[in-house]
Amino acid sequence: MTSEAELTVTVNGARWSGTVPARLTLCDFLRSMLRLTGTHAGCEQGVCGACTVLLNGAAVRSCLMLAVQAEGADVTTVEGMGRPGQLTRLQDAFLRHRAFQCGFCTSGFLAAAEEILRSGERYTRDELRALLLGHVCRCTGYEPIVEAVYQCQG
Amino acid sequence: MKPPPFEYYRPGSLDEAVQLMARYGPDAKILAGGQSLLPMLAMRQARPKHLVDLQRVGELAGIRSADGRLRIGAMVRQREIERDSSVPPLVRCAVRHIGNFEVRNRGTVGGSLSYLDPAAEWPAVALAMEAVIVTASQRGRREIAARDFGLGPHTTALAADEVLVEVLLPAGNAGFGFAEVTRRGVGDFAVAGAVCHGAAVAVFGVGQRPQRLPGVEALVSAGQPADGLAEAAASEIDTTSEYRRRVAAALVVRVLTEAAGRR
Repeated sequence: MTSEAELTVTVNGARWSGTVPARLTLCDFLRSMLRLTGTHAGCEQGVCGACTVLLNGAAVRSCLMLAVQAEGADVTTVEGMGRPGQLTRLQDAFLRHRAFQCGFCTSGFLAAAEEILRSGERYTRDELRALLLGHVCRCTGYEPIVEAVYQCQG
Repeated sequence: MKPPPFEYYRPGSLDEAVQLMARYGPDAKILAGGQSLLPMLAMRQARPKHLVDLQRVGELAGIRSADGRLRIGAMVRQREIERDSSVPPLVRCAVRHIGNFEVRNRGTVGGSLSYLDPAAEWPAVALAMEAVIVTASQRGRREIAARDFGLGPHTTALAADEVLVEVLLPAGNAGFGFAEVTRRGVGDFAVAGAVCHGAAVAVFGVGQRPQRLPGVEALVSAGQPADGLAEAAASEIDTTSEYRRRVAAALVVRVLTEAAGRR
Protein backbone atom coordinates (compact mmCIF):
# COMPACT_ATOMS: atom_id res chain seq x y z
CA MET A 1 0.00 0.00 0.00
CA THR A 2 1.34 3.36 -0.93
CA SER A 3 -1.76 5.34 -0.03
CA GLU A 4 -0.20 5.43 3.44
CA ALA A 5 3.37 6.34 4.29
CA GLU A 6 5.79 6.26 7.18
CA LEU A 7 6.40 9.59 8.87
CA THR A 8 8.90 10.64 11.50
CA VAL A 9 8.60 14.26 12.54
CA THR A 10 9.46 16.38 15.57
CA VAL A 11 6.60 18.60 16.74
CA ASN A 12 7.23 21.16 19.49
CA GLY A 13 10.30 19.18 20.55
CA ALA A 14 8.57 15.79 20.73
CA ARG A 15 9.40 13.12 18.19
CA TRP A 16 6.48 11.35 16.50
CA SER A 17 6.78 8.24 14.36
CA GLY A 18 4.01 6.34 12.66
CA THR A 19 1.96 5.73 9.56
CA VAL A 20 -0.23 8.43 8.06
CA PRO A 21 -2.55 8.57 5.04
CA ALA A 22 -0.49 10.04 2.19
CA ARG A 23 -3.27 12.51 1.37
CA LEU A 24 -3.41 13.91 4.92
CA THR A 25 -2.27 17.54 5.01
CA LEU A 26 0.20 18.66 7.65
CA CYS A 27 -2.58 20.86 9.05
CA ASP A 28 -4.97 17.93 9.51
CA PHE A 29 -2.16 15.75 10.89
CA LEU A 30 -1.43 18.34 13.58
CA ARG A 31 -5.09 18.88 14.42
CA SER A 32 -6.63 15.43 14.21
CA MET A 33 -3.76 13.04 14.91
CA LEU A 34 -1.75 15.10 17.41
CA ARG A 35 -4.77 17.04 18.74
CA LEU A 36 -2.81 20.28 18.42
CA THR A 37 -5.84 22.37 17.54
CA GLY A 38 -4.10 25.71 18.00
CA THR A 39 -3.24 25.46 14.29
CA HIS A 40 -6.43 26.56 12.57
CA ALA A 41 -7.80 25.21 9.30
CA GLY A 42 -9.29 28.18 7.48
CA CYS A 43 -9.56 28.18 3.70
CA GLU A 44 -7.51 24.99 3.21
CA GLN A 45 -6.25 26.31 -0.12
CA GLY A 46 -3.34 28.49 0.92
CA VAL A 47 -5.04 31.85 0.90
CA CYS A 48 -5.93 32.83 4.48
CA GLY A 49 -2.69 32.00 6.34
CA ALA A 50 -4.48 30.76 9.49
CA CYS A 51 -2.74 27.35 9.39
CA THR A 52 0.80 28.77 9.18
CA VAL A 53 3.37 26.91 11.31
CA LEU A 54 7.17 26.90 11.51
CA LEU A 55 8.92 24.13 9.57
CA ASN A 56 12.62 24.05 10.46
CA GLY A 57 12.20 27.71 11.48
CA ALA A 58 10.54 28.77 8.21
CA ALA A 59 6.90 29.84 8.17
CA VAL A 60 4.83 27.60 5.88
CA ARG A 61 1.17 27.00 5.25
CA SER A 62 0.39 23.63 6.81
CA CYS A 63 -2.61 23.16 4.48
CA LEU A 64 -0.29 23.38 1.46
CA MET A 65 1.88 20.50 2.64
CA LEU A 66 1.21 16.84 2.95
CA ALA A 67 2.14 15.53 6.37
CA VAL A 68 4.55 13.11 4.65
CA GLN A 69 6.46 16.08 3.24
CA ALA A 70 7.40 17.01 6.81
CA GLU A 71 9.45 13.79 7.05
CA GLY A 72 12.50 14.48 9.23
CA ALA A 73 11.47 18.08 9.88
CA ASP A 74 11.11 20.09 13.06
CA VAL A 75 7.64 21.65 13.32
CA THR A 76 6.66 24.37 15.79
CA THR A 77 3.00 25.19 16.34
CA VAL A 78 1.50 27.81 18.64
CA GLU A 79 1.43 25.17 21.39
CA GLY A 80 5.25 25.18 21.24
CA MET A 81 5.64 28.94 21.50
CA GLY A 82 4.57 29.91 25.01
CA ARG A 83 1.98 29.10 27.63
CA PRO A 84 -0.33 31.07 29.94
CA GLY A 85 1.85 32.98 32.38
CA GLN A 86 4.93 32.38 30.22
CA LEU A 87 4.04 34.12 26.98
CA THR A 88 6.70 34.79 24.39
CA ARG A 89 7.69 38.40 23.85
CA LEU A 90 5.65 38.40 20.64
CA GLN A 91 2.56 36.89 22.27
CA ASP A 92 2.80 39.45 25.05
CA ALA A 93 3.00 42.23 22.46
CA PHE A 94 -0.11 40.82 20.70
CA LEU A 95 -1.92 40.97 24.04
CA ARG A 96 -0.78 44.50 24.92
CA HIS A 97 -1.61 45.89 21.48
CA ARG A 98 -5.00 44.11 21.26
CA ALA A 99 -3.75 42.37 18.12
CA PHE A 100 -6.56 39.82 18.15
CA GLN A 101 -10.22 39.55 18.94
CA CYS A 102 -11.64 36.18 17.88
CA GLY A 103 -8.16 34.66 17.67
CA PHE A 104 -8.74 32.51 14.60
CA CYS A 105 -5.89 34.07 12.59
CA THR A 106 -3.56 34.60 15.56
CA SER A 107 -1.48 31.40 15.55
CA GLY A 108 -0.77 31.89 11.85
CA PHE A 109 0.30 35.50 12.37
CA LEU A 110 2.52 34.44 15.29
CA ALA A 111 4.32 31.83 13.16
CA ALA A 112 4.91 34.31 10.34
CA ALA A 113 6.05 37.02 12.74
CA GLU A 114 8.44 34.59 14.51
CA GLU A 115 10.30 34.03 11.25
CA ILE A 116 10.27 37.75 10.44
CA LEU A 117 11.68 38.66 13.88
CA ARG A 118 14.34 35.93 13.83
CA SER A 119 15.76 37.39 10.60
CA GLY A 120 17.14 40.23 12.73
CA GLU A 121 16.14 42.80 10.10
CA ARG A 122 14.42 46.01 11.18
CA TYR A 123 11.40 46.58 8.97
CA THR A 124 9.23 49.66 8.67
CA ARG A 125 5.52 49.32 9.40
CA ASP A 126 4.81 49.39 5.65
CA GLU A 127 7.34 46.63 5.02
CA LEU A 128 5.78 44.52 7.78
CA ARG A 129 2.34 45.12 6.28
CA ALA A 130 3.64 43.82 2.93
CA LEU A 131 5.33 40.81 4.57
CA LEU A 132 2.13 39.86 6.39
CA LEU A 133 0.01 40.15 3.25
CA GLY A 134 -0.55 36.39 3.21
CA HIS A 135 -2.69 36.50 6.35
CA VAL A 136 -6.34 37.44 6.65
CA CYS A 137 -7.76 38.97 9.84
CA ARG A 138 -11.43 39.88 9.91
CA CYS A 139 -11.43 41.56 13.36
CA THR A 140 -8.57 43.93 13.96
CA GLY A 141 -8.03 45.85 10.74
CA TYR A 142 -4.37 44.71 10.93
CA GLU A 143 -2.98 47.89 12.52
CA PRO A 144 -2.58 46.42 16.03
CA ILE A 145 -0.94 43.30 14.56
CA VAL A 146 1.57 45.33 12.57
CA GLU A 147 2.25 47.47 15.65
CA ALA A 148 2.82 44.42 17.89
CA VAL A 149 5.37 42.95 15.46
CA TYR A 150 6.98 46.35 14.89
CA GLN A 151 7.49 46.89 18.63
CA CYS A 152 9.14 43.46 19.01
CA GLN A 153 11.93 44.24 16.55
CA GLY A 154 15.53 44.86 17.63
CA MET B 1 -11.22 20.84 0.78
CA LYS B 2 -9.23 17.62 1.29
CA PRO B 3 -6.96 16.06 -1.34
CA PRO B 4 -8.48 12.99 -3.02
CA PRO B 5 -6.81 9.59 -2.47
CA PHE B 6 -3.68 8.74 -4.47
CA GLU B 7 -0.78 6.34 -4.38
CA TYR B 8 2.27 8.11 -2.98
CA TYR B 9 5.91 7.60 -3.95
CA ARG B 10 9.01 9.20 -2.47
CA PRO B 11 11.90 8.30 -4.81
CA GLY B 12 15.41 8.71 -3.40
CA SER B 13 17.16 9.33 -6.72
CA LEU B 14 16.48 10.80 -10.16
CA ASP B 15 16.75 7.30 -11.68
CA GLU B 16 14.01 6.08 -9.40
CA ALA B 17 11.84 9.14 -10.13
CA VAL B 18 12.27 8.67 -13.87
CA GLN B 19 11.33 4.97 -13.59
CA LEU B 20 8.16 5.89 -11.71
CA MET B 21 7.23 8.46 -14.34
CA ALA B 22 7.88 5.93 -17.13
CA ARG B 23 5.46 3.55 -15.42
CA TYR B 24 2.75 5.97 -14.25
CA GLY B 25 3.39 9.20 -16.21
CA PRO B 26 -0.03 9.80 -17.80
CA ASP B 27 -1.81 9.10 -14.47
CA ALA B 28 0.81 10.73 -12.25
CA LYS B 29 1.55 14.19 -10.95
CA ILE B 30 4.90 15.33 -9.70
CA LEU B 31 4.91 16.98 -6.27
CA ALA B 32 7.64 19.62 -5.97
CA GLY B 33 6.91 22.40 -3.46
CA GLY B 34 3.15 21.84 -3.68
CA GLN B 35 2.16 25.50 -3.55
CA SER B 36 0.02 25.19 -6.69
CA LEU B 37 -0.66 21.44 -6.69
CA LEU B 38 -1.98 21.25 -3.11
CA PRO B 39 -4.74 23.85 -3.72
CA MET B 40 -5.61 21.99 -6.94
CA LEU B 41 -5.84 18.72 -5.02
CA ALA B 42 -7.89 20.36 -2.25
CA MET B 43 -10.33 21.78 -4.79
CA ARG B 44 -10.30 18.47 -6.69
CA GLN B 45 -9.18 20.21 -9.86
CA ALA B 46 -6.47 17.55 -10.06
CA ARG B 47 -7.13 13.89 -9.26
CA PRO B 48 -3.89 12.06 -10.02
CA LYS B 49 -3.80 8.30 -9.39
CA HIS B 50 -0.14 8.55 -8.46
CA LEU B 51 1.82 11.30 -6.75
CA VAL B 52 5.61 11.34 -7.10
CA ASP B 53 7.23 13.49 -4.40
CA LEU B 54 10.67 14.76 -5.52
CA GLN B 55 11.70 16.08 -2.11
CA ARG B 56 14.36 13.38 -1.56
CA VAL B 57 15.86 13.48 -5.05
CA GLY B 58 19.29 14.95 -4.30
CA GLU B 59 20.16 15.54 -7.98
CA LEU B 60 17.48 18.24 -8.16
CA ALA B 61 18.92 20.38 -5.34
CA GLY B 62 21.49 23.14 -5.36
CA ILE B 63 22.64 26.18 -7.32
CA ARG B 64 26.02 26.08 -9.06
CA SER B 65 28.00 27.46 -11.95
CA ALA B 66 28.98 25.11 -14.77
CA ASP B 67 30.39 25.84 -18.25
CA GLY B 68 29.78 29.58 -17.97
CA ARG B 69 26.13 29.05 -17.03
CA LEU B 70 24.28 29.04 -13.74
CA ARG B 71 22.45 25.83 -12.99
CA ILE B 72 19.48 25.92 -10.63
CA GLY B 73 18.13 22.53 -9.61
CA ALA B 74 14.41 22.01 -10.12
CA MET B 75 13.72 21.51 -6.40
CA VAL B 76 15.50 24.68 -5.27
CA ARG B 77 13.03 26.78 -3.28
CA GLN B 78 12.28 30.37 -4.32
CA ARG B 79 13.53 31.59 -0.93
CA GLU B 80 16.95 30.01 -1.52
CA ILE B 81 17.12 31.64 -4.96
CA GLU B 82 16.26 35.14 -3.72
CA ARG B 83 18.95 34.89 -1.03
CA ASP B 84 21.78 33.49 -3.20
CA SER B 85 24.18 36.19 -4.38
CA SER B 86 25.41 34.02 -7.28
CA VAL B 87 21.94 34.24 -8.85
CA PRO B 88 21.56 37.03 -11.47
CA PRO B 89 19.92 40.17 -10.00
CA LEU B 90 17.01 39.97 -12.46
CA VAL B 91 16.06 36.53 -11.16
CA ARG B 92 16.37 37.56 -7.51
CA CYS B 93 14.24 40.65 -8.19
CA ALA B 94 11.55 38.67 -10.06
CA VAL B 95 11.40 35.83 -7.53
CA ARG B 96 10.61 38.30 -4.73
CA HIS B 97 7.30 38.98 -6.53
CA ILE B 98 6.20 35.35 -6.22
CA GLY B 99 3.40 34.74 -3.71
CA ASN B 100 4.33 35.70 -0.16
CA PHE B 101 7.40 34.64 1.82
CA GLU B 102 5.62 31.59 3.22
CA VAL B 103 4.81 30.38 -0.29
CA ARG B 104 8.40 31.11 -1.38
CA ASN B 105 9.66 29.03 1.56
CA ARG B 106 8.15 25.97 -0.18
CA GLY B 107 7.68 26.82 -3.87
CA THR B 108 10.34 25.65 -6.33
CA VAL B 109 11.67 26.86 -9.67
CA GLY B 110 10.84 23.53 -11.32
CA GLY B 111 7.29 23.67 -10.03
CA SER B 112 6.77 27.23 -11.20
CA LEU B 113 8.13 26.50 -14.69
CA SER B 114 6.16 23.31 -15.20
CA TYR B 115 2.91 24.77 -13.81
CA LEU B 116 3.28 27.53 -16.43
CA ASP B 117 0.73 29.97 -15.10
CA PRO B 118 0.47 32.70 -17.79
CA ALA B 119 0.81 35.33 -15.03
CA ALA B 120 3.80 33.68 -13.32
CA GLU B 121 7.23 35.30 -13.05
CA TRP B 122 9.55 32.36 -13.75
CA PRO B 123 8.32 31.41 -17.24
CA ALA B 124 8.66 35.05 -18.37
CA VAL B 125 12.13 35.44 -16.84
CA ALA B 126 13.27 32.16 -18.44
CA LEU B 127 11.97 33.39 -21.81
CA ALA B 128 13.69 36.78 -21.57
CA MET B 129 16.98 35.23 -20.40
CA GLU B 130 16.86 32.52 -23.08
CA ALA B 131 17.19 29.93 -20.36
CA VAL B 132 17.47 26.24 -21.11
CA ILE B 133 15.29 23.72 -19.32
CA VAL B 134 16.82 20.29 -18.78
CA THR B 135 14.58 17.26 -18.46
CA ALA B 136 15.17 13.56 -17.85
CA SER B 137 13.23 10.45 -18.74
CA GLN B 138 14.09 6.83 -19.37
CA ARG B 139 14.54 7.87 -22.98
CA GLY B 140 17.40 10.15 -21.95
CA ARG B 141 18.12 13.78 -21.19
CA ARG B 142 16.74 16.68 -23.19
CA GLU B 143 17.51 20.39 -23.29
CA ILE B 144 14.53 22.58 -24.15
CA ALA B 145 14.94 26.26 -25.00
CA ALA B 146 12.59 28.42 -22.90
CA ARG B 147 10.91 29.71 -26.10
CA ASP B 148 9.89 26.11 -26.94
CA PHE B 149 8.92 25.18 -23.38
CA GLY B 150 5.76 27.16 -22.65
CA LEU B 151 2.98 26.12 -25.02
CA GLY B 152 -0.09 27.67 -23.39
CA PRO B 153 -1.83 28.10 -20.05
CA HIS B 154 -0.57 25.32 -17.73
CA THR B 155 0.80 23.52 -20.79
CA THR B 156 4.48 22.85 -21.45
CA ALA B 157 6.69 20.79 -23.74
CA LEU B 158 7.31 18.34 -20.87
CA ALA B 159 6.26 14.82 -21.89
CA ALA B 160 4.19 12.74 -19.47
CA ASP B 161 7.20 10.62 -18.49
CA GLU B 162 9.66 13.50 -18.09
CA VAL B 163 11.03 15.06 -14.93
CA LEU B 164 12.26 18.67 -14.98
CA VAL B 165 15.85 18.48 -13.70
CA GLU B 166 17.27 22.00 -13.79
CA VAL B 167 17.18 25.36 -15.46
CA LEU B 168 20.34 26.79 -17.04
CA LEU B 169 20.76 30.56 -17.05
CA PRO B 170 23.37 32.60 -18.93
CA ALA B 171 26.11 34.02 -16.72
CA GLY B 172 27.03 37.68 -16.76
CA ASN B 173 25.13 40.77 -15.78
CA ALA B 174 23.09 42.22 -18.61
CA GLY B 175 21.07 45.36 -17.94
CA PHE B 176 17.68 44.31 -16.67
CA GLY B 177 14.28 45.55 -15.63
CA PHE B 178 11.31 43.85 -14.02
CA ALA B 179 7.85 45.23 -13.23
CA GLU B 180 4.37 43.91 -12.67
CA VAL B 181 0.98 45.32 -11.72
CA THR B 182 -1.25 43.42 -9.31
CA ARG B 183 -4.68 44.08 -7.88
CA ARG B 184 -3.57 44.10 -4.27
CA GLY B 185 0.11 44.73 -3.69
CA VAL B 186 3.19 42.52 -3.80
CA GLY B 187 2.39 38.82 -3.82
CA ASP B 188 -0.84 38.86 -5.76
CA PHE B 189 -1.11 37.40 -9.27
CA ALA B 190 0.05 39.82 -11.95
CA VAL B 191 -2.56 41.53 -14.09
CA ALA B 192 0.35 42.24 -16.42
CA GLY B 193 4.12 42.27 -16.17
CA ALA B 194 7.24 42.97 -18.21
CA VAL B 195 10.82 41.74 -18.12
CA CYS B 196 13.88 43.11 -19.87
CA HIS B 197 17.24 41.34 -19.97
CA GLY B 198 19.93 42.83 -22.21
CA ALA B 199 18.24 43.30 -25.58
CA ALA B 200 15.39 40.88 -24.81
CA VAL B 201 11.91 42.05 -23.79
CA ALA B 202 9.04 39.83 -22.64
CA VAL B 203 5.58 40.43 -21.22
CA PHE B 204 3.43 38.13 -19.10
CA GLY B 205 -0.04 37.97 -17.60
CA VAL B 206 -1.52 39.28 -20.83
CA GLY B 207 -2.03 36.23 -23.01
CA GLN B 208 -1.90 32.44 -23.15
CA ARG B 209 1.78 32.36 -22.18
CA PRO B 210 4.65 34.85 -21.78
CA GLN B 211 5.62 36.58 -25.04
CA ARG B 212 8.84 38.04 -26.41
CA LEU B 213 8.44 41.32 -28.31
CA PRO B 214 10.93 41.09 -31.22
CA GLY B 215 9.63 44.29 -32.83
CA VAL B 216 10.30 46.32 -29.68
CA GLU B 217 13.66 44.59 -29.26
CA ALA B 218 14.67 45.66 -32.79
CA LEU B 219 13.71 49.29 -32.08
CA VAL B 220 15.72 49.25 -28.85
CA SER B 221 18.74 47.80 -30.62
CA ALA B 222 18.39 50.51 -33.29
CA GLY B 223 18.77 53.09 -30.53
CA GLN B 224 15.18 54.25 -30.06
CA PRO B 225 14.64 55.75 -26.62
CA ALA B 226 12.41 53.71 -24.29
CA ASP B 227 9.79 56.39 -23.68
CA GLY B 228 8.69 56.34 -27.32
CA LEU B 229 8.07 52.60 -27.44
CA ALA B 230 4.68 52.23 -25.73
CA GLU B 231 2.79 52.28 -29.06
CA ALA B 232 5.07 49.71 -30.65
CA ALA B 233 4.74 47.45 -27.60
CA ALA B 234 0.94 47.81 -27.50
CA SER B 235 0.57 46.87 -31.15
CA GLU B 236 2.83 43.83 -30.76
CA ILE B 237 1.32 42.31 -27.59
CA ASP B 238 -1.01 39.38 -28.31
CA THR B 239 -3.97 39.68 -25.96
CA THR B 240 -7.75 39.90 -25.95
CA SER B 241 -7.78 42.45 -23.11
CA GLU B 242 -7.26 46.07 -24.08
CA TYR B 243 -6.64 47.01 -20.45
CA ARG B 244 -3.87 44.43 -20.03
CA ARG B 245 -2.38 45.55 -23.36
CA ARG B 246 -2.11 49.15 -22.15
CA VAL B 247 -0.74 48.16 -18.75
CA ALA B 248 1.83 45.78 -20.25
CA ALA B 249 2.95 48.38 -22.82
CA ALA B 250 3.48 50.94 -20.06
CA LEU B 251 5.47 48.34 -18.09
CA VAL B 252 7.64 47.62 -21.15
CA VAL B 253 8.62 51.30 -21.19
CA ARG B 254 9.29 51.14 -17.46
CA VAL B 255 11.55 48.07 -17.59
CA LEU B 256 13.47 49.39 -20.61
CA THR B 257 14.07 52.65 -18.76
CA GLU B 258 15.22 50.71 -15.69
CA ALA B 259 17.51 48.55 -17.81
CA ALA B 260 19.02 51.60 -19.56
CA GLY B 261 19.87 53.01 -16.13
CA ARG B 262 21.67 49.79 -15.18
CA ARG B 263 23.80 49.35 -18.30
